[in-house]
Amino acid sequence: MALPSRPSLTKSSSEVSPEDSQGFSYLRRLLLAPEQTELERLKGRLEHFRLQPQDVSRVLPDAIGLRAQQDTRLLTSMIPITQEALSLSIKQSPQLISDSIAPILGPAIRKAISHAMREMVQSLQQAVEDSMSWRGIQWRWEAFRTGKSFSEVVLLHTLRFRVEQVFLIHKKTGLLLNHVVAEGVSGQGEEVISGMLTAIQDFVRDSFGQKQDDALESLRIGDLTVWIEQGSGAILAGVIRGAPPLELREVFQETLETLHAQFSEHLQTFQGDAIPLKESRIHLEDCLQAQFESKTQGLPWAFWILLGLLMFGIGMWAFQAYEDQQRWSKLLERLDQEPGLVVMSIQEEGQLATFYGLRDPMAIPPEQILSDIGYSSQQVKFHLEPFMDLTPAFVQKRAMIQLRPPSSVIVGWEGTALVLAGEASHAWIQQAQLVGPLIPGVTHIQMGQLIDTDVRQFETLKSKLEGKKISFGRGESSLSKDQRSALPGIAEIIRAMDQVALVLDLTPRILIQGFTSPEGGKEINRSLSLLRAKTVLNELAIGPVRAINLQAVGKGPPSADEPVSPTGIGVSQDRQVNFHVVVESDRVTASRQ
Amino acid sequence: MKGQGVVQKKVCMLGGFAVGKTSLVKRFVTGQFSEKYHTTIGVKIDQKSQKVEDTDMLLVLWDVYGEDDFQKVRASYLQGSSGYLLVVDGTRIETVEVARQLHKLATQSMGSVPYVLVINKHDLQESWKIEPSMYEDLARNASVVLQSSAKTGEGVELAFAELARRMLKG
Repeated sequence: MALPSRPSLTKSSSEVSPEDSQGFSYLRRLLLAPEQTELERLKGRLEHFRLQPQDVSRVLPDAIGLRAQQDTRLLTSMIPITQEALSLSIKQSPQLISDSIAPILGPAIRKAISHAMREMVQSLQQAVEDSMSWRGIQWRWEAFRTGKSFSEVVLLHTLRFRVEQVFLIHKKTGLLLNHVVAEGVSGQGEEVISGMLTAIQDFVRDSFGQKQDDALESLRIGDLTVWIEQGSGAILAGVIRGAPPLELREVFQETLETLHAQFSEHLQTFQGDAIPLKESRIHLEDCLQAQFESKTQGLPWAFWILLGLLMFGIGMWAFQAYEDQQRWSKLLERLDQEPGLVVMSIQEEGQLATFYGLRDPMAIPPEQILSDIGYSSQQVKFHLEPFMDLTPAFVQKRAMIQLRPPSSVIVGWEGTALVLAGEASHAWIQQAQLVGPLIPGVTHIQMGQLIDTDVRQFETLKSKLEGKKISFGRGESSLSKDQRSALPGIAEIIRAMDQVALVLDLTPRILIQGFTSPEGGKEINRSLSLLRAKTVLNELAIGPVRAINLQAVGKGPPSADEPVSPTGIGVSQDRQVNFHVVVESDRVTASRQ
Repeated sequence: MKGQGVVQKKVCMLGGFAVGKTSLVKRFVTGQFSEKYHTTIGVKIDQKSQKVEDTDMLLVLWDVYGEDDFQKVRASYLQGSSGYLLVVDGTRIETVEVARQLHKLATQSMGSVPYVLVINKHDLQESWKIEPSMYEDLARNASVVLQSSAKTGEGVELAFAELARRMLKG
């Protein structure tokens, strides 16, 4: 099928007719319609160009990456924005930032603290040991002798190993990527050392290596060892003093592996700028290890002596403190129990304790208590006001002091009464009767069980005298030799009675009674009996008496009511003289009480 | 670490025996290591700080022992270099050929990196036996060709400064 109006393609443009032009337009539309539409759309977009966020979001990550590879302008321009954004974020939501950095800060702080503590403890232990041991003294001498510092000498003797420097070297260029040194070690010319280490490795490998992968692993000079670990992009070289353990090699290897994992890209693209590898320092510092001499050989003898002295001192102090405490408790207990002493307050100032309180004047002096327990007046003082203690125990004590009872008297307390029992002289009893009621705290005295020994003696003498008799023959009034021999004993009894009567303040009458038998006349008998009585009175020869009144009485024959003989009236026993003591009854009773 | 914050570059000193490489380095830096390293391991390393525009640079100079019949330059020493100084003794024609061989070795080891061609011993110009045509091929790709004198210091700073500038620009 042929197109009716299809224009000829061989005609020149000047020869195109209007029909042809329409035909061309038709053909153009037919052939280029989709492209034409697209061109129109693009033209419109260019004329009304406006950057769409979707477009930017598609290219932004790649654009940033590309620009960052080219130069640092993007990075530089982002620094102030990032800083400001971070600052604003911290102000607005500090918790968010805090939560975000906590996982990093926590371990870092812990690590820093434990590192510092470990170093401090180690240096402290070391210092104690080094300064107190015999070895330490030797080292001091060595330091003095050689002019080295003491710490240097100690380090030389105690160090097993210490990693002094660690180099991280770019494998291809031999340039230094990072470098750390141990405390107290000064690094110098590390970039050149880095290059020389690389050169030495190359030299050794070229000279002696079998394969390209062979590498120098260790250098040793004097006390220094250089361990070299090879990685694909970097070399780690540690300068170690002393004899390092094999485990350290593993630490180096692990560190190098970590660094390769973390900085792989930087190692590959390294162009001489080591700043991106700055963070490798943290890992390199892990390699700065050290080990000192084992402490298993024990602590120095001087330490033990010092410890012993310290323990002894503490023991002595504790014992002394215990003793002081015991003594103090004893003092308090004694003061609490002591009658007549009342402690109201204690004031302690340094080594001096002052007791304030009350003291009965009759109580034991407090100084005596102090000396009993072992305190001096410089340690304890008393400020005691006088008072009267009325407790039964102290009243009893006061009674004992004031009455001064003989040992035969027991002093007791019953209710509010002072009870006196036992035996005492008449004079003491009289004194007790007077003084007793005056003792503070004593309302009355019970003496029911108290025996007056003088009264008892008087009664005894009286009975003894009244048991005596002198018999006469019928019509006789004179004394035979036998009768006369009984008289001195009787006279002695009477004199003794006189003495006791004086003590008892009595004036007894002793009736010397003469009797006759009923035989004979009444008058004769009366005269005879009186004569007999007077004869006895005269014969007794008592001598002077002060209390007793002697009286001869003629009774005649005894009456039936008052027989003088148990056999009755009319017997020879009636012819006698006997004795009868008359004491005023109320006086004796009074003496008894 | 002193190298932090600065751009480090490894630079090799290449040239025949006794062309004056070590003297040029001595002029440029204050040496730290003894020159006996040359005869032991064939290289001595020094460093020099250099400021190029606003960038601080640290040039680590590998002064490789001069090539002669008894000792060959170790190719391994050249690896990783960002540039080199190719030194020729203006009084000895044979040093141009040595320089040519070393340039070839350097290109093999380092790839195409900037280098400065230094015609040394300019203080002995009356004894010079070298014409520019003799080293035309070497000068063609060099960053710059300089006449220097380690004795007077002429051209030394300029040679290193120019090399540093070229290395920094990549």
